[in-house]
Amino acid sequence: MKIPAVTPTILLAAGLLIYPLIFSGPFYLDIGVTFLLAAISASAWNIVGGYAGQVSVGHAMFFGLGAYAPLLCYTLFQWAPIAGIPFGIVFSIVLAVLIGIPTFRLTGHYFSMATIAVAELIRIYFGTWDLVGAAIGLQGPATARGWWDLTFRSELPYYYIFLAVLAVLLRLTFLIERRRFGYYLRAIKAGERAARSLGVPVQQIKIKALILSAVFTSLAGSLYSVKTGFIDPESGFGILVSVQMVIIAALGGAGKLYGPFVGALILIPLQTATNTWFGGGGTGLTFILYGGIIVLIARYEPGGLFELWERIAPRGWRRKNAS
Amino acid sequence: MLLLQVIVGGLLLGAIYALFSSGLTLIWGMMNFINFAHGEFVMLGMYVSLLVVMWLGGGPAAFGFAAAFSLFVLGVFVYLSLIRYVLRGPMLSQILSTFGLALLLRYTAFWIFSANFVSLPQTSLSGTLNVGGVLMPVPQLVAGVIAILLTIGLHLMLTRTKVGSQLLAVSEDRGAAMLMGIRPDRMQALAWGLSAGAAGIAGALMAIAYPWSPSVGETFGLTAFVVVALGGFGSVPGALLAGLIIGLIQALSAFWFGPIYKDIIVYALFVALLWLRPQGLMGKA
Amino acid sequence: MLLEAHKVSKAFGSFFAVREADLSVDEGEIVGLIGPNGAGKSTFFNCLAGDTVPTEGKIVFAGHDMTDASPEAHARAGIGRTFQVPATFEDMTVLENVMVGAYLRHPHHNDARDLARQTIELTGLRTQTDLPARSLGTPGRKRLEIARVLATAPRLMLLDESLAGLTPTELKEAIGLVRKIHEKGVTIVIVEHVMEVIMTLARRVLAFNQGHVIASGKPEEVVRDEAVIDAYLGRGRHTHRRRST
Repeated sequence: MKIPAVTPTILLAAGLLIYPLIFSGPFYLDIGVTFLLAAISASAWNIVGGYAGQVSVGHAMFFGLGAYAPLLCYTLFQWAPIAGIPFGIVFSIVLAVLIGIPTFRLTGHYFSMATIAVAELIRIYFGTWDLVGAAIGLQGPATARGWWDLTFRSELPYYYIFLAVLAVLLRLTFLIERRRFGYYLRAIKAGERAARSLGVPVQQIKIKALILSAVFTSLAGSLYSVKTGFIDPESGFGILVSVQMVIIAALGGAGKLYGPFVGALILIPLQTATNTWFGGGGTGLTFILYGGIIVLIARYEPGGLFELWERIAPRGWRRKNAS
Repeated sequence: MLLLQVIVGGLLLGAIYALFSSGLTLIWGMMNFINFAHGEFVMLGMYVSLLVVMWLGGGPAAFGFAAAFSLFVLGVFVYLSLIRYVLRGPMLSQILSTFGLALLLRYTAFWIFSANFVSLPQTSLSGTLNVGGVLMPVPQLVAGVIAILLTIGLHLMLTRTKVGSQLLAVSEDRGAAMLMGIRPDRMQALAWGLSAGAAGIAGALMAIAYPWSPSVGETFGLTAFVVVALGGFGSVPGALLAGLIIGLIQALSAFWFGPIYKDIIVYALFVALLWLRPQGLMGKA
Repeated sequence: MLLEAHKVSKAFGSFFAVREADLSVDEGEIVGLIGPNGAGKSTFFNCLAGDTVPTEGKIVFAGHDMTDASPEAHARAGIGRTFQVPATFEDMTVLENVMVGAYLRHPHHNDARDLARQTIELTGLRTQTDLPARSLGTPGRKRLEIARVLATAPRLMLLDESLAGLTPTELKEAIGLVRKIHEKGVTIVIVEHVMEVIMTLARRVLAFNQGHVIASGKPEEVVRDEAVIDAYLGRGRHTHRRRST
């Protein structure tokens, strides 16, 4: 009996939908929500970093803008935080264009370095800027004034909202993969010079990819600050945010649809475990672990776990699951 | 007078920037590769100096040599175990390799030494010189001057010695260099050693005059990149000039706008450079 | 005149890689570029392809000034090129590689895929359609490059030593492929070292040395030209030598 190719996706979706009903304690719910958020961010990064091969190590800049916008709108105008989401997206698009235009003309290192520099620039500056709360940061509504404040006691509604966003993002990435834009992205990663000679408008495509990636990263940031009700320069623009996106995508498989998903599946529980075991010193050791993992991936398996799987999985099974 | 002091201070610090940035530009010019962990090499040089002073009671000469040597070895090791493999691979792994290394080194340092700022106990270099009303602390002065000398020395080594020309030959044309009996792999390992060694000794010089913590690596890394971008990739004289300029701009910004702008100005300068003149001061459009 | 290059020069600093080179190609021709290594033919080739901008001179294609047009613009105008060292997209399959080319004129997935399949059929790569490009040997990669650029429906194809390093059998097949492409109406300019290719394919040949065009004409004539022989034997002079008695 032939199993249709779409079965794994359906099983996955079903699993994700019923997860919180089975594992309903706050601890499990929290991991689930953290996992989804990480998967969204990393999948967004994947568009420009994985598919197009333009490695941003400062994606936190978009995340942070998306995170600050809702709470800023609340703090300044008492709006519902979600009203601020579009602003975060617009600022992120502008930033993406400002960075992309000069750096994409040059070799890849410029872009990578620019992303670090800009993310740090913004982080330090926000730490001194009173309008956005300087080093203290901003907070959201303490109690809900209505459903639109999205201030829930339980994390369950967040879980399903994030799941919906992840589904939309993955669906979009899936569509891109199958169309010209996706082929052009991969061509750019595989060989820019050759791509140009075939008429691929490299500069334009890179910027579009960065914009798309920035939009969803910004959205992830917004979701984060709406859920947490709090943001400060470190949690918005800190290097941990950028690193986490990169490592999750790279570990699972940069440039693969489910790469970031798999990466998050492994890394989020791992991170929670190390944080619990190492307690306060957790953050430092987490980074050491992350650094080590990144080096190992770069050295031995740049394609991540997905590529590893493709190499060692039995051929019959692989071909059946091929697109 | 105060302004003049600020200027001199900036130039002296800039000289050290020039020294470690020369290392970065050497690698870039030779292999088209950016070492994202370069700042961490400088940071490690500083901590090696601290350890030599604390454990062995060594003086500046001792820890200067120790920093240079240990980082040289580290540089060669990193090349042999990691870099030469990722050089053949996709851009993603090239960037991730040293970026991951940077995290590894930085946070291991945090773990071992904590996030507190430290400085070296008083060495034989202390006191302040008064030159025509301008106060120059001796440690800063000595560090800056030695840095300039070493940078010039590096440039001379590259352009005047046999080994230097072999290194340059490999960066010009690997194939031709191989035909001439030069082993590119060896030369590249040597370049990494030199690059890290330069960073290490710059760290030792820095440690003589300024306090630090493991967090400085990230800032130095970016500073090095700005210096190299400004001075032109692959050019040591360019790095010298650009380093001095960056040091100067930093000092003046801190003086006029406040200390927080010390780092911001470097990052902002970099972004401006990308927009206006990516080929640097000495480059062609 | 499909392609006209007029007094094209390219200098790197004070060194002239190409000096006042002229070339005219009529629609439907096959023109060969020969010359020893370092003679400037590759640089000239890159100027034609848009990879390099000439320091002086003009390049006109089908009435449009392409002198400083980008490589992408060249492709859109109908100029395709291959690379001396094959630059196939290693991690993508043969089909995907060719589709990248096909997408230039066919933005929709199904159309691009159909055209790609046809091109793969034409170039004899059908059995490798779903294999990753990296699994092909060098001859396969060269063939894939040709297929990929063919999918962009070029009017002019610039082949950069695409037939080098092939066994006699592979060479015969490759020459046959180039002929097939030519018969479909594609004009061809080919840089080549392999004399057999030049003699059998090219109707007209330009010989380069030290940046200059030192001879041009029918293949049989050019290869017997004194200056050309001098160039290859390394005497490096580009003046004609009279036969002395």
